[in-house]
Amino acid sequence: MAEVISVGVNLEAFAQAISAIQALRSSVSRVFDCLKDGMRNKETLEGREKAFIAHFQDNLHSVNRDLNELERLSNLVGKPSENHPLHNSGLLSLDPVQDKTPLYSQLLQAYKWSNKLQYHAGLASGLLNQQSLKRSANQMGVSAKRRPKAQPTTLVLPPQYVDDVISRIDRMFPEMSIHLSRPNGTSAMLLVTLGKVLKVIVVMRSLFIDRTIVKGYNENVYTEDGKLDIWSKSNYQVFQKVTDHATTALLHYQLPQMPDVVVRSFMTWLRSYIKLFQAPCQRCGKFLQDGLPPTWRDFRTLEAFHDTCRQ
Amino acid sequence: MSPFLLEGGSVSQMPVAEGKSVQQTVELLTRKLEMLGAEKQGTFCVDCETYHTAASTLGSQGQAGKLMYVMHNSEYPLSCFALFENGPCLIADTNFDVLMVKLKGFFQSAKASKIETRGTRYQYCDFLVKVGTVTMGPSARGISVEVEYGPCVVASDCWSLLLEFLQNFLGSHTPGAPTVFGNRHDAVYGPADTMVQYMELFNKIRKQQQVPVAGIR
Repeated sequence: MAEVISVGVNLEAFAQAISAIQALRSSVSRVFDCLKDGMRNKETLEGREKAFIAHFQDNLHSVNRDLNELERLSNLVGKPSENHPLHNSGLLSLDPVQDKTPLYSQLLQAYKWSNKLQYHAGLASGLLNQQSLKRSANQMGVSAKRRPKAQPTTLVLPPQYVDDVISRIDRMFPEMSIHLSRPNGTSAMLLVTLGKVLKVIVVMRSLFIDRTIVKGYNENVYTEDGKLDIWSKSNYQVFQKVTDHATTALLHYQLPQMPDVVVRSFMTWLRSYIKLFQAPCQRCGKFLQDGLPPTWRDFRTLEAFHDTCRQ
Repeated sequence: MSPFLLEGGSVSQMPVAEGKSVQQTVELLTRKLEMLGAEKQGTFCVDCETYHTAASTLGSQGQAGKLMYVMHNSEYPLSCFALFENGPCLIADTNFDVLMVKLKGFFQSAKASKIETRGTRYQYCDFLVKVGTVTMGPSARGISVEVEYGPCVVASDCWSLLLEFLQNFLGSHTPGAPTVFGNRHDAVYGPADTMVQYMELFNKIRKQQQVPVAGIR
C-alpha cells in the first residue's frame, strides 16, 4: 500500500505534468500551423522569409521549453511502481466505486486461481512423467527443444538382433509358434499361433510392438494377395475383446532401455490365453458373462478374469 | 466350431413335457433364448436318408448289411455328407445325390426313412444356437438343440463353457458330453463332427418309435 500513498503525495505534480503536456501539445500544433500557413502577407520576398523564419524559430523554442518542463515534472511524478504483483493493474484498487465495478477483487481471484492451476499442473506433469505412456526413452523431457533430434537407439537395432530375440522367445514356449516376416522393409511382422486357440498378428518397429490383432485359430489372417492382414478385426466378439486387452498390455509392458524384455513379457502374458476357453473367472467362478469367457489376464499373476470382474 | 446336440429325442425328457406338445416346448425354448438376448438369424434344416447295402452284393462273404446315411445341412449348402455308423464320414458336393441314384445296385434307399429337423437359428454373442423340431414323415418326434461356439476349434476345450451356457436356458436338463468330444482329444472340430452327432440323434429317435413309450429312460 506504500505505493498508493506515494502516488497521493505526487498528485500535485501530476496536475502540473498534465497541464505541461497540454502546453506542449498546443506549442507543437502552433509549429505545424506556422508551417501550414507558410510565407504570406509581406511585401518583399526577403521580409516574408525573415518573418517566417523568426516565427518558426519562436515556435520551436517554445516547444523545447515545454518539453523541458514536462521532463522536469515527470521526474517529480516518479515511476509507476513495478514491484506490485499485479503491476499496473494493481492501480485498479484505487477505483473509488468498488460496488459498481468490482474489477479489482475479481482480478485478484482470477490471479489466485491461475496461480493454483499452474501449481497443480506442475505437480500433475511431474507425476505423469513417472508413469509415462510413451514407450521410447527420449520423450521424458518437458520441453520439446531439449528432445534430441536423433532417433532413440532402440529403434535402430539391426534386424539380425530382432530375429535372435524372437527366435529365442519362440524356443521358450513350446505351445506357441512364431513366424517372422518382413514384407515391408526392415520392420518385422510376427504371426503367433497359440496352441489351437488363437492367432496373433504383431506389427513391430524394431523391437517395439506397434500393433497387435488377435484372431481365432480357424480365421483367415491373410489378405487375398497372400499378405498378413493387419487391418481387419476378428469376426468373433471374444477375440475382439482379447485384441483390446492385448493393446492395453502393450502400453503396460514397457521398459525403454530393454525392449527385448518387453517383448518377452508380452509373449508370456499372451501365452496365458492358451486356457482362454477352459479357465473360469477367478473372481466370480463362472465361465460366461454376457456371453463372453474371461478375456482379461492379470498382468502380474496371469489369472483369468472377466472384463468387468477385474479390479 | 463346437456344436453339440441335445438329446431332444424324447419329449418326456424335456422339463416342460408334462401335458405339452413338441411345438409348445420348442416355443418355450426359443422364448427363453430371446429373453437371454439371442437374435434370430433365419432358419436351418438338417435331413438324413438311410440306404441299405443291396441284397445282391451281400451274402457271399456272409457280411451283415451296413447302413449308410446320406445327410444335408443347410449350414453347408454345397455339401453332402455320407456316413456309416461308427465309420468314416465322406464330405462330397451336392451332386453326390445323383451318384447315389446310379449306385442303386449297391445301395438301396430304405422306405420312409427320411428324417429331418427344421427350426430357427439364433445368435448370441459368439454362440450359434439351433432349436429344431425333428420330424419323420408327417409326425414330430422330438426336439434337437445344437449349440455351436465358433471361436473354439477344440471341442473338449470349451465343454465346461458350453455346459454353463446350456444351463442358462435348459435348466437342469443339460446332457452329458457327447461321445465325439472324448474320442479325439485335441482334434480340430469340423462339419463332419456335427453330422455324426445329428446321425446319432436321429438313430436314437428312430429307435424310440419301435420301443413302447413307457420303456424310454
